[in-house]
Parts: sequence; C-alpha cells; structure tokens
Amino acid sequence: MILSDKENSASKNFIITAVIWLVVGMSLGLTGAIEFVAPDLSSNIPQLTFSRIRPAHINAVAFGWLSMANIGIVLYIIPTLTRCKLYSEKFANFICYVWNFAIFAGVLCLLNGYSEGREYAEFPVPIDIIVVVGLISLSYNVYLTVLNRKVKKLYVSLWYMLGAFFWMPIVYFIGNRTFVRLDGLNDGIVNWFYGHNILGMWFTTLGVGIAYYMIPKLSGRPLWSHSLSMLGFWTIAFFYAPTGTHHILQSPVPEWLKALAVVFSVALVIPVITVLTNFFMTMKGNWWQVANNLPLRFVLTGALFYFVTCIQGPFQATRSVNWYIHFTQWVPGHAHVALLGTFSFFDWGAIYYIFPRVTGKQIYSVALARAHYWFTFIGFLIFFAAFTIAGLVQSAGWHLGIPVGQWVVELVPYWIYRALGGAMMWFGNILLLFNIIQTVRGVKPLDEPTVEPAMVPPGLARV
Amino acid sequence: MNKNYILPGFVVLASFGLITFTTVLLPNFIFRPTASEFAVEYTPKEARGRKIYVREGCVYCHSQFSRPQDRDFGPLPQAGDYVYETPNVLGTIRTGPDLTNEGQKHPDQWHISHLKNPRTLTPGSIMPPFGYLKDDEMNELVAYIQTLGKKRMVKYHRIYQPDELRKVLDKRKVNVDGSAAANAGRGIYQQNCATCHGTNGLGNGPNAIAIAKKPANFSRPFYKDYDDVTWFWRVSEGVPGTRMPQWGKLLTEEQRWYLVAFLKTLPRETEVYPKGYESIDPEKWVEVNKTSAAELNSVKPAEIIKTDGPAPGAGGGH
Ligand code: HEC
Ligand code: HEC
Repeated sequence: MILSDKENSASKNFIITAVIWLVVGMSLGLTGAIEFVAPDLSSNIPQLTFSRIRPAHINAVAFGWLSMANIGIVLYIIPTLTRCKLYSEKFANFICYVWNFAIFAGVLCLLNGYSEGREYAEFPVPIDIIVVVGLISLSYNVYLTVLNRKVKKLYVSLWYMLGAFFWMPIVYFIGNRTFVRLDGLNDGIVNWFYGHNILGMWFTTLGVGIAYYMIPKLSGRPLWSHSLSMLGFWTIAFFYAPTGTHHILQSPVPEWLKALAVVFSVALVIPVITVLTNFFMTMKGNWWQVANNLPLRFVLTGALFYFVTCIQGPFQATRSVNWYIHFTQWVPGHAHVALLGTFSFFDWGAIYYIFPRVTGKQIYSVALARAHYWFTFIGFLIFFAAFTIAGLVQSAGWHLGIPVGQWVVELVPYWIYRALGGAMMWFGNILLLFNIIQTVRGVKPLDEPTVEPAMVPPGLARV
Repeated sequence: MNKNYILPGFVVLASFGLITFTTVLLPNFIFRPTASEFAVEYTPKEARGRKIYVREGCVYCHSQFSRPQDRDFGPLPQAGDYVYETPNVLGTIRTGPDLTNEGQKHPDQWHISHLKNPRTLTPGSIMPPFGYLKDDEMNELVAYIQTLGKKRMVKYHRIYQPDELRKVLDKRKVNVDGSAAANAGRGIYQQNCATCHGTNGLGNGPNAIAIAKKPANFSRPFYKDYDDVTWFWRVSEGVPGTRMPQWGKLLTEEQRWYLVAFLKTLPRETEVYPKGYESIDPEKWVEVNKTSAAELNSVKPAEIIKTDGPAPGAGGGH
C-alpha cells in the first residue's frame, strides 16, 4: 500500500498532495496579503510576520503545488504518449513521499527563520539536497520510460517534458550551490539565473508541454502545426536561460550581461507567439466547446493569461520599461499571472481531466468545479488588476519625488482589493480540495456522466 | 536509441551548456570587482545583525541598490561596494524604502522603536512589528543597519558635520538677530515661500493642499531648537524627496541669511498663551494648551519682535 506499484498511483498521489499544498500555500499568501492591510495582525509572533510568510508562501506554491501538480500530470501523460508503463511506479511513489516531506520540512524551516535568504532558493541545504536527488531520480524514471517507448515519434509535449527534466536538476543545483561562496553581486547574478530559470526551464516547459497535450485532447482536434511547435521548443531552449539578469538591471553588474539578458528576453516573443498561434489555430472554429467543456475552459483561460504574461515579459525587460516598473507591485503581479494565471490554470484543467483517469472515478461534482473556475477566474482578475495598478501608482509617486515610505499609504485600496481577490481564489481552491477529497473517497457523483464528459473516466462514459 | 534524436539531444546539451557557461561561469571569471573604499567589512556584531536581516526577510520589502532615477536614496553604489555582501540582499521589491544609504540617517534608538512598532514613528506604515527580537538581536540588527552606506554618506558630506558646516558663519555678513534683516527676510519669504508654508509659516499656504508631503509648519516647538546654521542649511539644501526646493541654488547666500532672520521670529505654537498661564497646574497644561489654528492666525506673528528679549525657546510647555 505504502509504495504501491499500481498503474498511475504515483500520478494520483502527486496530484492529491499538490492540491493540499495549493490550499496551504494560498492560505499563507492570503495571510500575507491581509497583513498589508492590517500590519499589526502578526502581533509580534515571528512565524506570522509577513517577511517569514512570504518565502514560505512562494516555496509552498512553487515547489509544493505547481511542481508536484506538474509532475503528477506528467507522470500520466508520458506513459500515455509513449504507450508504455512508467519505468518504476514504486520509485515514483517513493519520491512523492520524500518530496512531500521535504516541502513540509522546508516550509516549517522558513517560517521559523532558517532561510538561506536568496529569493526562490531559501530552502536550507538538507532540503535542497533532497529536492535535487528527487529531481534526478524523477528524470531517470522519466527518461527510461521514454527510452522504452512503443511509439516511435516523440510528440511535442514529450520534447518539452524531457527538456524540463533535463534542465531543472541542473538549474536547481546551480541556484542552491551554497558550498561555493560568491561575492555579493556574483551571488546576485547566479541567484537570478536560477530564479528566472526555474520559471523558464521548469514551469514554462512543463506547463506548455501539458497544454500541448490537453488542448488537442480535450477539443478533439489535431494540433495545428507540428513544425511550429518544434520551433517554439527550440527557441525556448535557446533564448530562456540567459535572461535572469533582467531582475537586477539597474544594479552595478556588468553591462554586457544586462544587454544579453535584455536581448534574449525580447527574443522570447518568438516562442510565445509560436506556442499561442498553435493553440489558437488548433481551436479555430471550435471555440464553442469551452461552453460545455470545463477542463478545456481552464486550459484556454490559462492560454489567454499566457498571452498577457508573455507580452508583459519581453517589454518589462527592456531598459526603458524596467526603469519605470521595477521594484513596484507590477512585478509580483506579472509573476502571479505566469504561475497562477497561466500554469495553475493549465494544471487545474489537466487535473479535472486526468484525475478521473488515474483514479477511475468520476469527479464528484461538476457544479463545484464550475464554481472553482469562476471564483478563481474572477478573483484572479481583481487580484491581478490590483497588483498592476498599484505598481503604476507606486512608480508615479516615486517619480514625482515622493519618498517610498510616504507614498505607501496611497496604496491601501489596492492592498484591500488584492486581499479580496486572493480570498476569492482561496475559496475556489477550497472547493477544489473538497471535490478531490470526495472523488477519492468514492462518494457517488452528483451529476450524470453526460454533463461533463471530459471529467468522467473512459470506462464509465460509455455506460 | 533512434539515430534521429542524437543530433537534437546533442544540440540541447551543447546550447544549454554554452548558455550556462556564459551567464553563470563567465561572469564569475571576468567580473571580479575588488573591494572599494565603501565596502564594509563587518565586525562580528554587525555580521550577526546582517544574519538577522536575512533571517527576518527584510529583503522582501527593502532593496539595497539605489538607482540613478531615485530621488532620495543618496549616492549610487558601485560594484566594488558589494564585495562582502553574501548572501546578496539586493532585493527586487520596494514596499519600504531602499536601505542602501540608510546608515546614520536615524539614531539607534529611533531604529529600535521603529522596529518594535513602525506605526509609532511612521503612522500608516505597513512594516510588520519585529518586537519579538531579543534585545541583543535588536542591537545587532541596528548596528548592521547603521553601517549601510555610512562610508558613502560621509564621503559625500551628506551626514551632518557641524564643524564643516559652521564655516559659513565666518563669511556671514548679515546680523540675523536684527529686525532690519528680519524685515528684509519677510519680503523674500512672502515672495518665495508663502505659497507653500503660508504667510504665517504654519505650513498652510494655498499649495499645501496639493502636496502629498506637507510643507513644514514653522510654529512647531521643534523648530525653536534650530540654530542659525541649521536653518541656513535646511533652507539651502531643501528637503530631498519633497517639493521643498533647494534654495541654495536659487537665492544668494545673503538672501538666505535674511530668510533665517525672518524664520527665527516666527512664533511657536505655544506662544499664544492663555491668560494667566503661569498659575496653571503643569499637569493639566496639556489640555489647556490646545490653541486652534484660527486663534493662531488671529495674532500677528510677523510683527518684528525685538529679539533681545527672552530667547524664543525659553517659554514653558513641552
Ligand atoms: C511588509 C514589508 C516590510 C518588511 C518585511 C520590512 N519593512 Fe522596513 N519598512 C517598510 C515600509 C513600508 C517602510 C516605510 C514606512 C516606515 O518608515 O515605517 C519601512 C521603513 C523602514 C526603515 C526606515 C527607513 C527610513 O529611513 O525612513 C528601516 C530602517 C526599515 N524599514 C528596516 C527594516 C528592517 C531591518 C526589516 C527587517 C527586520 C524591515 N524593515 C522589514 C516595509 C517593510
Ligand atoms: C513648493 C512648496 C514649497 C515652497 C515654495 C517652499 N517650501 Fe519649504 N518645505 C516644503 C515642504 C514640502 C517641506 C518638507 C517638510 C517636511 O520635511 O516635513 C519643506 C520644508 C522646509 C524646511 C525644513 C524644515 C525641517 O524640517 O527642517 C525649511 C527650513 C523650509 N521648508 C523653508 C522654506 C523657505 C525659507 C522657503 C522659501 C524660500 C520655502 N521653504 C519654500 C515645501 C515648500
């Protein structure tokens, strides 16, 4: 039972625990957001102080929720695409336990102040070691599965996923190598190489890979262009890695490095346009499907947000725009539209489709799932608008010469809306958690299988 | 393995290797700034303070690199200033002000009270309270904050250096205690300053409505402790980060001394004493002393008082 080798059990375990982490991470984030409105809420309890909650929130959602959900989904997609069982289901299950333990210990460490202090790389060394080992073993598992495949050609999703499993262990290792002590600015350069590349070489590649699988599958239309999708993959592989320095564009790091970062960031427009063109052309003439296909609606909403982040991204990285919006709330807004708006929406869509298939049970309630969609979608719009506008207001004040510490009082309305949007999304995901729990427990579904055919396992649908 | 995938696999490996080399390894080989004169080698106490800064996550609200376009964060840091800064606390968000040049801006005690409860010193601040830090941790943290950019500030004369500044007194040709000078200053004041600071110096000029950081109210008791030199420098240098201009660039030194003479004559809030205030019980003084702005406006403060009477600061109150 503990280390089951039942087919797809690793995928199932990863997804369930990921959803729990999602709620934990969002609760942390929501607490942080409320503390901006009521700063004395922490009442001198160190674990509740904003500056400790923030790294815990980021690591819980990035490594707890998003990474684990991605892995869970990938562990279903790869065997499906290769028509070949996962190389070792037991091993994958084992990694799931270890990974959960690592995140749990890591989040506790961060709340209690054991932090390495580099953004996104806060986990203390023992946790880093577990994560790297876990990643390498997962890669091993995934690569061997693909090598044993029964299908000759590699679908584009597999390219993305294999890429991610190749890059991520390396990137994570570089970002957390604390045994090499680097001087201040060099430390910053490497920190941001890592900070940006877990996005580019892990979340983006896995997320886009998942969307490449989900969109044709859910809409039942073939992918518009395979060669375009490969162009997208290769350009991501080439252009993503050097962009990190755009996070410290106005600091005294070497100019050539900044120039490199800016040029490559702008070049990222190419993979984005190819990916989105491909998605939208696949959907051409089929947009009506989003009306009664909830997983597809999630994934396509994610694709729309992907458009937003990826138009923001390259422009933000140019010196003139960065000059204005850097250091403001605009930037966390952008980070959320990528990780929450895009990749989490992809994952939610994928979970609603995949979870019935890995558990063999129909999703408990379609109504709850639809409520989940609307709460997160509307909540996210409010949340994102609050961040973005707050950023513009902030910068306008600073450039008028008003000191940061004084201008901060002008932002109160945006903090309030931000917490409000966050609370809506938090509630939506409580619904998701409830839905998943009910499904796992095998409670009789509330709806006929015909209401949302995509959310019903294939065996049952024909009944 | 299928031969078709060997080439692509190799390309992925090679390109990623090349990119990692240029952006991770190469900078570390060719970008090795040496410690500049401003780099701070921390004492053990300050180093412990820095660890607390990292542990408490101050970096999630405070950046540590001031940029060319920032108005009030002092001189820009150079690459060599960061040599001893590991782990880096450059920061990417400025919910609170930049701390590059924070050292010596405030006294230690200010920082301690501010960290314990930011809202007592800055109403409306959203900085979390850090009162849970133990006393010695707090001292270490403050010792670290006080090092930030201190050397830079000294070098660029941004720190109050009484001896240096007092040299202006030697060149002074205006008798700032005389009523003639004060009268001359009044004209200059009404022309240049009254729109913001108000005709009577209460900080309520017509423009004050539109300014986020309100102009100073010179009747606050605080200003009665200003000596001539402080007034002179405050007027000359303006207040960075507010709309207060740098008058040193606009008015001659003589004009500024006239202004000082005038500013010194402005009454203090508590100078409109209720009748018979001397017999009032000092304990109840606080309540009795609430003088409305209208009342203050009704007296004529700008009358030139002969200043050889009691010094303005000598009145009672708190
Ligand atoms: C929630 C974000 C937040 C966190 C976390 C935070 N601060 Fe602040 N800080 C602010 C804001 C906002 C201000 C401006 C208002 C004020 O002065 O309180 C400020 C102001 C300051 C100032 C005064 C700057 C000046 O000269 O006016 C200092 C010093 C400071 N913070 C130090 C710290 C230290 C040290 C820590 C970590 C223990 C910390 N801050 C954590 C938001 C934060
Ligand atoms: C555009 C509006 C404006 C004008 C015009 C203006 N001031 Fe100011 N002044 C301000 C503001 C805003 C402050 C900042 C108050 C603060 O720091 O709290 C200030 C502060 C000051 C201070 C510093 C007080 C302190 O805290 O040390 C002095 C002195 C001063 N002004 C004198 C003058 C004089 C003299 C003139 C005319 C020559 C003048 N100001 C003209 C807006 C103005």
